[in-house]
Amino acid sequence: MPSSRAEGAPPVVTGIGVASGFGYGKQVLRTGLHAGADVFGVLARPGRQPAGAATPFIGVEMPDPPDVLPKRIARTAGLSGRVAVAVLGEAWTEAGLADVDPARIGLVVGGSNLQNREAVLALTAHGEGRAILSPHLGYSFFDTDICGLCCAAFPIRGFSLTVGGASASGAVAVLQAAEAVRSGRVDACIALGALQDLSHVDLAALQALGALGPRHAQAEAAPGAACRPFDRGRDGFVFGEACAALVLRRADDLPAGAAAYGSIVGGAHRADGHRGPDPSLEGELRAIRLALADAGIGPDAIDYVNAHGTGTPLGDDTEAAALLEAGLATARINATKSILGHGIAAAGAIEVAATLLQMRDGRLHPTRNLKTPIVPQLGWVGETSERLEVRHALSLSFGFGGIDTALVLRAPGA
Amino acid sequence: MTDDAVLATLIAQIRDVVPELEGHPIARADSMVDLGVNSIERNEVLLLTLQALQLDISPTKLVGPRNIGELADLLHAKLAG
Repeated sequence: MPSSRAEGAPPVVTGIGVASGFGYGKQVLRTGLHAGADVFGVLARPGRQPAGAATPFIGVEMPDPPDVLPKRIARTAGLSGRVAVAVLGEAWTEAGLADVDPARIGLVVGGSNLQNREAVLALTAHGEGRAILSPHLGYSFFDTDICGLCCAAFPIRGFSLTVGGASASGAVAVLQAAEAVRSGRVDACIALGALQDLSHVDLAALQALGALGPRHAQAEAAPGAACRPFDRGRDGFVFGEACAALVLRRADDLPAGAAAYGSIVGGAHRADGHRGPDPSLEGELRAIRLALADAGIGPDAIDYVNAHGTGTPLGDDTEAAALLEAGLATARINATKSILGHGIAAAGAIEVAATLLQMRDGRLHPTRNLKTPIVPQLGWVGETSERLEVRHALSLSFGFGGIDTALVLRAPGA
Repeated sequence: MTDDAVLATLIAQIRDVVPELEGHPIARADSMVDLGVNSIERNEVLLLTLQALQLDISPTKLVGPRNIGELADLLHAKLAG
């Protein structure tokens, strides 16, 4: 049943939970981001080793999640699900959701095909006669298992669903959660960018596609140098495990003393008509302009852009062109993927989290390896963090299949 | 393999699937339902037990026993041949 309160007020973010190569929790994330610390290495998780004698894949892996689920449940849950529950716990507690009617809480999980590594491991072990094919796989291979685990661990009884937007999935989840709160469908909605648990098959396919770049194949000796968004030396993206949960609530529905990180005042999610990985200048520009119009501000009001910035040659060129053409040359710009790697499904959500944390800290994190920017006239944050009071920020996420998203965030009191 | 060894194998699989039963006494007269093992877990216990016993039969051939003692007897009979 819709809330009796007036519809349309921009939702605010009151709780954030994160996991990344820095570990679990916001504090290690903000410390690591501002330091621009190097967490890249050779991927060691079982199921990520390339077939034959191929060069190992590089990227970022997070520590195993804390034991928050009962053993009986944990043994049947994949890594993505166990990480999701741990990350949601941090956001849930901070937002005080225990005091909200469970029927008025929703969950949007961003991401699809989230547990491919688990499937590859299970099929390999079964094929070699080392293990049975667990009956639990019959339901856990669906992405909705993340929903089920979260809703069983926490009293979420409004609705739950998954949304797919490839590398924009996390941002799509934030947009859907914002709409659910703004429309009154629920009073609180969690947007969770889930851990994309890539297998060696997925990584090999991305490599064959050219998305990982030739430097990736030679980066075993210096994995920290391979990921370099917007730098002239970039040649592809580097995978990084991540997960983030954001609790969105109505601004007029907060408990006394609650401090919001910021509000989501504008957003856009558009299709640009491309299949596959090719970016679209027209599509990205349209998403940026629609999000700004939704927020009721012009490009000159944007102080900071958290770019999609994957480090692929065409992707970065297209995004830089879109930023220029949108009139965002005066904004400061960085790329969180330069530090965390590319979280695929989780990227859009953890980048919104990173944007809000930087907004609260009054400091922008560096862009690792950005030594020679491809478009010098844009306002890049280079290899050193910068102080900046951010009133409005723009977070961009684009996904294979022609998905373009933009989110406008406003600082409290701005 | 003795009937008691088959029973021990079966109980070990139940404890693996439901770690919370570690330390809980399990006897021949107990049923998995009474022990709180749900239907998916019961299927997993059967599959794991068949694998441990190297018995190549379908779990559907194990319908009928009312408790784990009777199930162990049936498995023992299948092993014998």
